[in-house]
Amino acid sequence: MSAAEQDDRAESIRMIRDSAAALAPPGGDLKRIRDLRFQDPGFDAGLFRQMGEMGWIGLRVPEALGGAGLGLGEMCALAEELGGALVPEPLIAASLSAQLLAAAGRHGALPVLLAGEVLVLTAWQERPDTLEAPGTPDAPRRFLPMASGADFFLVPVREGDRLALYELPAARCVPKVERTQDGGNLGSIVPNLVEGTKLSDDIGPMLADGLDEAALVTAAYLLGGMERAFGMTLDYLRTRQQFGRIIGTFQALQHRAANLNMQLALTRASIEAAAATLDAGAIGDARRAAVSRAKARAAEASLLVQRECIQLHGGIGYTDDYDVGLYLRKAMVMANQYGSATLHRRRFMATSPEVEE
Amino acid sequence: MDAIRIPPPAELDGLDDEQFRHVVRAFLHANYPQELRNPPKRLHWSENKPWYMTLAERGWLCPGWPKEHGGLGLSPGKQIILTEEYERYGVARTNDHGIVMLGPLVIKYGTEEQKRRFLPKILTGEHIWCQGYSEPNAGSDLAALRTEAVLDGDHYVVNGQKIWTTLAMDANWIFLLVRTDKNAKKQEGISFLLVDMKTPGITVRPIINLEMHDEFCETFFDNVRVPKENLVGQLNKGWDMAKALLGFERIFLGSPRQSGYALSRLKILAERMGCWEDAQFQDSYARLRLEFEDLKALYGTFVERLKRGQSLGPDVSMLKILQTELFQKITDCMLEIAGENAGLLEPMEGNRDLNIGGLYIQARPATIYGGSNEIQRNILSKNVLELPG
Repeated sequence: MSAAEQDDRAESIRMIRDSAAALAPPGGDLKRIRDLRFQDPGFDAGLFRQMGEMGWIGLRVPEALGGAGLGLGEMCALAEELGGALVPEPLIAASLSAQLLAAAGRHGALPVLLAGEVLVLTAWQERPDTLEAPGTPDAPRRFLPMASGADFFLVPVREGDRLALYELPAARCVPKVERTQDGGNLGSIVPNLVEGTKLSDDIGPMLADGLDEAALVTAAYLLGGMERAFGMTLDYLRTRQQFGRIIGTFQALQHRAANLNMQLALTRASIEAAAATLDAGAIGDARRAAVSRAKARAAEASLLVQRECIQLHGGIGYTDDYDVGLYLRKAMVMANQYGSATLHRRRFMATSPEVEE
Repeated sequence: MDAIRIPPPAELDGLDDEQFRHVVRAFLHANYPQELRNPPKRLHWSENKPWYMTLAERGWLCPGWPKEHGGLGLSPGKQIILTEEYERYGVARTNDHGIVMLGPLVIKYGTEEQKRRFLPKILTGEHIWCQGYSEPNAGSDLAALRTEAVLDGDHYVVNGQKIWTTLAMDANWIFLLVRTDKNAKKQEGISFLLVDMKTPGITVRPIINLEMHDEFCETFFDNVRVPKENLVGQLNKGWDMAKALLGFERIFLGSPRQSGYALSRLKILAERMGCWEDAQFQDSYARLRLEFEDLKALYGTFVERLKRGQSLGPDVSMLKILQTELFQKITDCMLEIAGENAGLLEPMEGNRDLNIGGLYIQARPATIYGGSNEIQRNILSKNVLELPG
């Protein structure tokens, strides 16, 4: 990229961050988030529609198909802002579905999904902790985020050596839903394909790429939560007094804050490098290695940072009234989505070229 | 098991250790409600009352109290055996602040009148106690507490706020550390006061914690008038009394049981997730298992000291640090291998006591309560290693 192109890119990313502030004001309270917890569907359909109006659901969809045609740099910046505000509307899952619909021969619910009028979830997962979609026709599809608010499911199905894609109305395939620690839900469905419409004969490559992207964007969402919880913790260290001193003056605590700061810096560096790698058009192993590096780091570092933020707060951090715990609960749910740290470490070793002397 | 005769309470202390262990097992087998084994959350009075009353009726309620006051008069060694067997059986804690904290303090420092007035009502379950020590600005620095008691005629007038008053909503009495001299050095102006929760001016507000459970409360005191005969021990000596009470019970904060339970859950989870045989997992598990075995050995050396009648030094803090941090590491490992199941609110389908997220969250405050691990490390570095500063 030339210097001018780089400047344009930075400007585009800055604009996305600013636009995120419209729905998730920085420093805003988390009352909306709290009110939605442990309720169905766990998010606000009105706000999801606003996300559609802002062009976020189709951020990664080509402009010719009604999307914004922007890159992962922008998508990760947006997810980071949303993660900082714990926004529960399922943008990452919806974005994956939008990309699949855009890539399919028939676009199905794409226009209404891009407008945020319906929620379309991709029912690809047959077991925990995987990025593989075997497409077993009658296997239950599991761990669908915010499934209780879904209008359509996209079901990849193995047909010969390819994965076809079917669209199923949720009314014909009611999910079984379990609540999650962050107040959202995960659903499972048994796909009833006779009720479905086939949209594509060969969605496999797009699905693999889309899951990679979802893993990377999830890492960025986790980073946003880490930043915010760490910021709250620094504020606490700067104001809380015990033994007649501000506790942030204790060197033992200062060192721990410094350690967390390094984890944040590494996570950000890893995610931004991966986004740039993908935006530069990397394919195959190079692409997978970059994503896995970022997600492995984010999954592990986010839980470490969130745990330490609770500990550094002491008792108040263990109350539900205090916001820092909301970030731990979110990390518990999202750290393993689209692959755990273990899965991504292994995949990194399988796809990354060895370090040269 | 059923063949074992359970002797009357007064004879329990006379048994040898192995006999005693078998008697405890038989007692639990015969009396403990099956459905209350290993509860995922701290039980409220309404839930643990039947067990409390069973213990009360059988005379087993207060293992550490002297027999003359209605206790079992067990030696520290036997109390540890009892606790080990309770833990092994998954016995829930009762609302035990009267048994564990207040009773021993009244026995040691109370007047004869106070003993007659308060001890029997703990034994019958009529008085359920809670503890009012911590305050919003006096947590790790407990001696900085500011809830004030001012003498006005025959009463102390109490004003202030306590926090982390465990199960205060269940209690009808509270024991308080209060400031009675604002001019003295902070540890030397604190007194110990017993307060009837029905006294006007007391408000209890439950705090929902990360387990989404109302185990803790905030308790507010607004011109609460407490008869002055409810002061225990000498005026302004409350701090020393409360500290002296932190006796050998401190060892229980370091009991490896929680880690042992968590390890057993980790194994079940690993088998269920299909990674038990995995070499990488086996290495992680082996590390945790070895830490557990070494902690058990270390714990055993402290237990031996108690059984020989020695008192524990400040080095007991290391047990609490090691146990709580191991408990957390085990639940960290569970979260890592559980995939998307890590985020579920409820136990995994088909296994009622495999609640990954629940156990993970339950492990968090262990490094905060009972003297945070930061404070425990201060104790090790200052009082054991005698480092300067």
